[in-house]
Amino acid sequence: MRIPHLNDLYDAGSRLLLESTVRVGVTGLRRAGKTVFVTALVDNLLKAGRLPFLDVMSSGRFQAARLRPQPDPDVPRFDFEGHLAALIGPDPHWPEPTRGIGQMRVALRYRPDSALKRAVQPVATLNLDLVDYPGEWLLDLPLLRQSFAEWSALTLELAARPPRDELSASWRGWLATIDPMASAEEETARRGAALYTDYLHACRRADTLLSLIQPGRFVEPGDMKDAPLLTFCPLPPAPGRRVAGRGSLWALMEERYEAYKTNVVRRFFSEHFAKLDRQIVLIDVLGALNAGPAGMADMKRALELSLEPFRHGSSGWLDWLLGTKIDRVLFAATKADHIAAHQHAQLRALLDRLVGDARNAIRFEGAQVETMAIAALKCTDSVVTEHEGRQLRCVRGVPVGRDRPTVLFPGEIPEDAEAFPPGRDRPYNFLAFRPPDDLGRDPRGLPHIRVDQALQFLLGDYLL
Amino acid sequence: MTERDSDTRKAAKGWVPPMELELDRAAPVSAEEETALLTGSGDPAELLPAPAAPVRTTRRLGRWLFGALAALVVVALGFDTADLLNRAFATSVVLGVLVALLAATAGIAAVAMLVNELLSLRRLRRIEELRAEAGRLEVEAPGGRADRFAGSLVALYADRRELAPALARVRDHVTDAHDEHEVVRLLDREVLAPLDRAAYQRVLLASRDTAVATALSPAALLDFAVVLWRNLKLVREIASLYGARPGYVGSLRLLRRMLANIAVAGVTESAHHVAVEALGGSLAAAISTRMGQGVINGLLTARVGLTAMHLCRPIAFGTDNRPSLNRIRKELLSVPKQVL
Repeated sequence: MRIPHLNDLYDAGSRLLLESTVRVGVTGLRRAGKTVFVTALVDNLLKAGRLPFLDVMSSGRFQAARLRPQPDPDVPRFDFEGHLAALIGPDPHWPEPTRGIGQMRVALRYRPDSALKRAVQPVATLNLDLVDYPGEWLLDLPLLRQSFAEWSALTLELAARPPRDELSASWRGWLATIDPMASAEEETARRGAALYTDYLHACRRADTLLSLIQPGRFVEPGDMKDAPLLTFCPLPPAPGRRVAGRGSLWALMEERYEAYKTNVVRRFFSEHFAKLDRQIVLIDVLGALNAGPAGMADMKRALELSLEPFRHGSSGWLDWLLGTKIDRVLFAATKADHIAAHQHAQLRALLDRLVGDARNAIRFEGAQVETMAIAALKCTDSVVTEHEGRQLRCVRGVPVGRDRPTVLFPGEIPEDAEAFPPGRDRPYNFLAFRPPDDLGRDPRGLPHIRVDQALQFLLGDYLL
Repeated sequence: MTERDSDTRKAAKGWVPPMELELDRAAPVSAEEETALLTGSGDPAELLPAPAAPVRTTRRLGRWLFGALAALVVVALGFDTADLLNRAFATSVVLGVLVALLAATAGIAAVAMLVNELLSLRRLRRIEELRAEAGRLEVEAPGGRADRFAGSLVALYADRRELAPALARVRDHVTDAHDEHEVVRLLDREVLAPLDRAAYQRVLLASRDTAVATALSPAALLDFAVVLWRNLKLVREIASLYGARPGYVGSLRLLRRMLANIAVAGVTESAHHVAVEALGGSLAAAISTRMGQGVINGLLTARVGLTAMHLCRPIAFGTDNRPSLNRIRKELLSVPKQVL
């Protein structure tokens, strides 16, 4: 005999008590493929056909996944349907990149692994909240620790170095004409901020793929456009250790810098970052290789900065604020389908070298760190072809902007060596490929490379 | 300057610049192996790597002695049979034909058995080779050999109907982007994990059987026989489950290797387990000697079974999925309660 009311009550109670939630932050520097990653991940979870390395799938305990309304009403929803339609529609193309934060919730139903849990609750639910935010916001977090003077010095030093020196010429020219200690004029501040913003935009557009862009809201202001919060820029220190007086330009900029820290960076930290349980950082290593040594160096620097929030324990500067609880961090080199499959190990090794120091520091603090070479959407096949008597492993796919497939040998990442051996200019040529046709017909979900292993690392222990 | 140029050229000799190549001449990575994997056909012996030359230090004298004795026995048997036939024909033709038929049947059966044994030994060796290959792939990942390994493993289980869905899943999942390590892991999880569960169940059952039989049997000799028989049966069951289907010689060889293993290392990890077992055993023994013996015999059977699992599995157990004695021990300690 079933007693429906009692059952309903039990269900409600167990939902209240036994549904668990995990918040996974997805971020990555520009063009790393955040949008496609989230889309492919959700699509694969919903269709559940291509995730053999997710334990809950392979052991047959997974039941189904469904989209649910997200928990935070004030955060924009990630436009999953729109992005998926772009990928699998009649004319497949890459979705528009997201600017700003996006969130969505996927509920996963599965049978628990342990007999004890099964006795309490035969079917468990895990709410997976994906929070997608720009990597620049992550780069902003280290600002919390820097004073205006320190930040100015660092930024100016970086701007004077190639390849940024050309891009920043007009801004630095303007800096030479002003006196930071003179009394502040709103017009001067606006002019400086505008020039600095132009410089940041130029960095972003540059072929060398410069990733280090601070402060992030200057290029993606959202609703803060033209707010005083965003009208400041780094200033050179005053000659002769003069102290900036009240009302000077320096004082004004410093005040706004502090306000930016409080109202933008700290808010992002406490409202979003501090609530995350897991984090995946997507990195376009191949893009940086394409861009050459300068691009690579810039990416390394940006990475080091963006990793700082995770090594919170070592500096202690974030502990006073709630303290982050992120206990697993995954660094993923995206677009692994742009190289032949046997090169994935080298790509991963390269990423390992890029994040090596930070990784040890994070591990020392007790969080788990992993690196992987992944592709959210596999657009190519690995093929073998002959060239001058040698067997070359290449990739075959349709490049963006063309109709016919091509076979590309993109260059090989050397093992245990410098990524840029001396004497070879442009050793790499990674093309962007189009999403394959007819993706929508496959009931198993979007094809990918190692997204299931990424999921297993990020969620595996929640799905036991 | 010129020196540097020549250096560059030298370095560039084996180097190919990035470029686009002709579409028609490109072939998918390892096409033949992949089709072999897909159809599950292809001679498994062909797919397998060439077996490494066996490195064995046999006691040669012993071998000579054994061989000579065996030959003597065969010759003696032959003489006796011929003698017997002669005498039978001398007595009566009917009796002679009867004896001749008997002798022929015995001879044919013996040859058939021999062939069977040899085949089973080959199957066992194939599993051992597969395990070695899997270990190599895990460590080296030389590129392009995963499909071959998958092909031979799939061929090993091709005629097992209950494994067909798992094999189909593996075929479905493996793409050209997976490396050796991942393919081995995938096979391990999709194909072998269900077999592990089944094997573990059998071990559990067998160890409970021996425990109960020992506890209830009236004579020591009887329970010795039961334990021996049950262990042999268990080993053969497990070996068949993993695809070895051993004959008598194969089982004996397995048993011999297992005895060595059990004596040297124990099934799971360490002396710690032995201590706990002894403790558990003595606790049970305090309740009743017979029960204690039953539990100890059960544990022994369990260790034999688990060792058989280790030896028959085409991919060695990793650290996370190795079967443990713990559950069996708990189960066994509840046997006295069940029997009483």
